Amino acid sequence: MKYIITTKALTKKYNDKTVVDRLDLKIPEGSIYGFLGPNGAGKSTTMKMLLGLVKPSFGYMSIFEKEVTEKNRLAILKDTGSLIESPAYYSHLSGKENLQIICKLKNVPERDINRVLSLVRMENQQNKKVGQYSLGMKQRLALAAALLGSPKLLFLDEPTNGLDPAGILEMRELIRSLPNHGITVFVSSHLLSEIDQMATDVGIIDNGKLIFQDSLLELHEQSGTKILLKTQNDQVAWKLLSSHHLPIRQEENKIYLDSFKEEEIIRAVKLCVEADIGILRIEEEQRSLEDIFLNLTGKQVSL
Amino acid sequence: MSTSPSFFTQFIIEQKKQRHKSHFIFVLFFIGVQFLWAFYAQRPTDYNDLTQGYLSCFHFFPVINTILYPVFIAVMASRLCDMEVKGDTLKLLYTLQKKSSFYDCKYLSSLLPIFFTILTEAFLIVLTGQYYHFKDTLSTAMLFELILSTLLVSCALLSIQQVLSLLSQNQILPLLVGLLGSFLGLFSLFFPTDFARLVLFGYFCAFFKLENDWDEKTRIITYYYRGFDWKLLLVFLLFTIALYFFCRWLTLKKEV
Repeated sequence: MKYIITTKALTKKYNDKTVVDRLDLKIPEGSIYGFLGPNGAGKSTTMKMLLGLVKPSFGYMSIFEKEVTEKNRLAILKDTGSLIESPAYYSHLSGKENLQIICKLKNVPERDINRVLSLVRMENQQNKKVGQYSLGMKQRLALAAALLGSPKLLFLDEPTNGLDPAGILEMRELIRSLPNHGITVFVSSHLLSEIDQMATDVGIIDNGKLIFQDSLLELHEQSGTKILLKTQNDQVAWKLLSSHHLPIRQEENKIYLDSFKEEEIIRAVKLCVEADIGILRIEEEQRSLEDIFLNLTGKQVSL
Repeated sequence: MSTSPSFFTQFIIEQKKQRHKSHFIFVLFFIGVQFLWAFYAQRPTDYNDLTQGYLSCFHFFPVINTILYPVFIAVMASRLCDMEVKGDTLKLLYTLQKKSSFYDCKYLSSLLPIFFTILTEAFLIVLTGQYYHFKDTLSTAMLFELILSTLLVSCALLSIQQVLSLLSQNQILPLLVGLLGSFLGLFSLFFPTDFARLVLFGYFCAFFKLENDWDEKTRIITYYYRGFDWKLLLVFLLFTIALYFFCRWLTLKKEV
């Protein structure tokens, strides 16, 4: 597998406090890599180190398989876009004028502005001063700025922060569509549900340490995500599925399939249907991020 | 291996950022004050004033510069840097351009209107002399010395104001420093020379060795020009360069 970002023992210390602790990231090309962790876990600092905004205390980092140094930083970042913490903008300029400045800095033709504005659905607001934009519009403008020049890699730090539910949905849809344009997305969030709905790969960071890194599917496997089976006769269904060695469990008069593998879910449904047990509902019961942290680290964390 | 845009492009971008900011109104206002000072305060009231009109200008303009320029420089730097602070743009800009180039372009963008007002001031001195028909000869050397010394002190003050404006979330601090600097600079003119040398804001008047003799009976002031302190200027030039790099280092070392 080709990794677009690799870090080895990446560390950031402020005096005696270790904010990022020997991080070994591997971000597959073409993925949406969700960087998950509670506030203050070190997500933004990691992204800032990769972008050269914060100097690592030690460790190795490479983007596009090239080691990032102070000398080649800008050459490497030319093919990236970023939205870190909050949108960056000039409030006295219009949305279009803001993008024109970024075009000049990125050496991208100004005709690309229309493309990115249509991607974020901001064509009608482009001539309005950014100071008059809502937070959601500013966020979308910042994303448009990040998308100028068709970068191969996008850094998005908590891109849905402060957005209303409609804005969150729109942003999520947009992020999910980016790999279709050949863009790898490195997105951070402190919300599991957020990452769960858009990422293909996940890294979980806590107190600066990477405690999990794999595909989203693997996270579900490891975190004990369970499938609730609601049937016409749960008792009979439980006996039937147990006898076929499926990972079935009974809890508070409900039966759960302790597996996220599609073939096991299909098998369970098939067995029930064949035994003439009506399936009323199949529901994924996701664990909260707190539970996953508890599962992975054995300690409670406040999110 | 850097693919940062050229310095010229970055400088043009700095100018584009200033669209709709109407900086020229503020610059025009400042020039207006200089104009009033030149044509009202420097108007001759008797023949003696006419015979030393230019010398009087070279005596009083550095004084008015001590009062006005610290505030003007603080406002200019603040207006240009505040848009970056308010818009939280540094974390984006530093991924697209060299941090040092950003700082240099910003500095140059603030310095240009300041330099323009310095040239305007020199022009106003010439214009005032022509208008009131001063009897003494205008020394082009003194005019050049005034431009040079005012520019140099402005450069030093701009370094301080730029670092304060870029590092402060609230622009009150840099503006307050400019305002206090103006007062301190003015008061320093009444301090003993050795002590006055410690006040950076008072250096507008430090290089011209212009003395005056006030005759109480005739109520006539006679000015004597004793030359320009080039040695002090050279020391100040070195100090300004060092200050520039120190302030730049302070700004760039801050993580965003």
